[in-house]
Amino acid sequence: MTAAALSQVLASGLLMGLIYGMIAVGLSLIFGLMDVVNFAHGEFMMLAMYATFGCFVFFHIDPVLALPLVAALMFIFGASVYAGVVRHALRVKVNAGMVQIFATFGLATLMQGAVQFFFTPDYRNIGDSSWLGGKTLELGGIFMPWPQLFGAAVSLIAFGGLFLLMKHTDFGRALEATREDKGAVALVGIDSNRVFALGWGLGAALVGVAGAVLSTFYYIHPQVGAAFGTIAYITVALGGFGSVFGAFAAGIVVGLVEALTAVVLPPAMKSMGIYVLYLAVIFLRPQGLFGRL
Amino acid sequence: MKRRQILLGAGAATVLQGAWNEAMAQGKEVVIGALYPMSGPSAQVGIDARQAFETALEVINNVSPLDLPTAKNAGLARLGGAKVRVVYADHQADPQKGRAEAERLITQENVCAIVGCYHSSVSTTVSATCERYGVPFVCADSSSPTLSAQGLKFFFRTAAHDEMFSQAMFDFMDALKARGQKIGSVGLFYEDTIFGSDSAKVQRKLAAERGYRIACDIKYRNNSPSLTAEVQQIKNANPDVLMPSSYTTDTILLAKTMAELGYRPPNIVAQAAGFVEKPALDAVGDKLVGMISRASFSEDMGEKRPSAKAVNASFKARAGRDLNDQTSRQFSALMVLADAIDRAGTVEPGKIREALAATDIPGDKTIMPWARVKFDAHGQNTFASPVLIQWNKAKFVTVYPFEVATAKVVWPMNG
Repeated sequence: MTAAALSQVLASGLLMGLIYGMIAVGLSLIFGLMDVVNFAHGEFMMLAMYATFGCFVFFHIDPVLALPLVAALMFIFGASVYAGVVRHALRVKVNAGMVQIFATFGLATLMQGAVQFFFTPDYRNIGDSSWLGGKTLELGGIFMPWPQLFGAAVSLIAFGGLFLLMKHTDFGRALEATREDKGAVALVGIDSNRVFALGWGLGAALVGVAGAVLSTFYYIHPQVGAAFGTIAYITVALGGFGSVFGAFAAGIVVGLVEALTAVVLPPAMKSMGIYVLYLAVIFLRPQGLFGRL
Repeated sequence: MKRRQILLGAGAATVLQGAWNEAMAQGKEVVIGALYPMSGPSAQVGIDARQAFETALEVINNVSPLDLPTAKNAGLARLGGAKVRVVYADHQADPQKGRAEAERLITQENVCAIVGCYHSSVSTTVSATCERYGVPFVCADSSSPTLSAQGLKFFFRTAAHDEMFSQAMFDFMDALKARGQKIGSVGLFYEDTIFGSDSAKVQRKLAAERGYRIACDIKYRNNSPSLTAEVQQIKNANPDVLMPSSYTTDTILLAKTMAELGYRPPNIVAQAAGFVEKPALDAVGDKLVGMISRASFSEDMGEKRPSAKAVNASFKARAGRDLNDQTSRQFSALMVLADAIDRAGTVEPGKIREALAATDIPGDKTIMPWARVKFDAHGQNTFASPVLIQWNKAKFVTVYPFEVATAKVVWPMNG
């Protein structure tokens, strides 16, 4: 493998990794907040892809412009899912863990079915007629498609925004405090229910951003969430449960490891690198790369 | 209600249900099971298959002017005009779900035969299940050669398998070489289930036998989120002919990634599947202009087979798209099966098997380019002659064998 080819693989891995990171951050945020794994996370992303596609086809809004709109819609959707489903699942005292798993898992199945019903299982595609479509930046023999460059940049900006929000605003501090101790925050007058709802909204908005950028270069299908959802779960575990920064960093690592494994091993085994790394990390650091015990 | 009453009631219901199914099977209805992906990434394939079967049922169950087996009468004449009904089941591309559903179709729905299954991996488990129950399995569209090499008595495949298809591809390349084209190397790129692996195995063998260098041999994970590293390897190897075996998702991703990385393969000769699916062509057809695929059918078949045009029109009215490689094979499989049941004159699976084994339908009584339908000892129709078709942005045209071609081949595709 030549140096140019290796740089291409690394560049592609990094661009993809930033998007993986963005998908994982939303999942990690929700998990850190209330110890609930959202099994419909990939389907949230799928929904955002269809929303972006819908804006483009029906209202001729370019994905670049639709992005904030999709994020806002996903925020509302996420908060409604909390209010409509998760809040009730959390109240159950018997087999609480199972109830939460099946509630979000059932939601995932429902979302897939509903989208397949309304949009058919045909593969959709925003195509090259969008602003970013089909354009590639070539830098010294390395090809970087504009949709993916845009996606990577948006991921960095969104993550930066999340970081500032969590460190420098009252809401961020309330979020952090609720993550630390749900009981104690009630004593200082923070409504944990409200924080949870906002947290779900925020998590959904983040994965919505990822879905919107992904739809500029990936196919759109009711099952598209499955492949990305699985990667998100591994990424969150690798980065460390409860660490938003860890999830983002681990996303980049996963993207790079996956791309490199596909070069070293037969490509059919490219997920192997991620699993080997994951096993190594949980043996040496059970809390994950950046997690707290 | 007491427990005893419930038990009695349930027992009676089961017996009645059984008697009802029996009556339906013996009387005015012939029930056939169809196993396809109705949900999951390949769901559209199953939905299209359903339209293909409904199109065939229209010919079978009504009086039709077409010159196809069973078309003349309403229903199956030798079963007193019994109507054929297809029960659909969803295997979600999962071999284990396929096996379980096949079992359910046989034991609960009392089907007299099963048609399926698109994914070769699923057809493998379903054909084994059918064998165990002694129910004929008519494989419509799975192309793995190993399926007919299992030595099953109840397995029948109407269409060609990948060895026959790949042979046509290499015959075609040999013919081009004889005409002065330079083709030195091929690149294998295939998904990691039985379809891709088997297809590559045959192509590897044929390339060695006929003196083509294998520039790259890439087995990739299907439904991957990214194919960048894989495409990078193809690009480095730059084979004269890229030979991909992929389903729809991977076809879309492959074509997009090649375009993004600025790679234009000199030629593509594909193993159908994703490369002839409308969703893939809608999404990336403009990036695949000049791509050649093996096929059992193309739209211009209408000039060779009079019934093809009418069947295509009827299918299009239902599905909103033209017949393709897959749907034409599904239509034909059900026609062949209905003809066999008609000749058997009964829904008894063993008798249907015998009728299938004795099948001999001339090619012009099908909508396919096949010479005829006649099964060998393995249940393979050895007369299912494949063709090669080329995508010219709006539609496919037949380019090989040269005798049946409707257009001249464009080679190289990216000149």
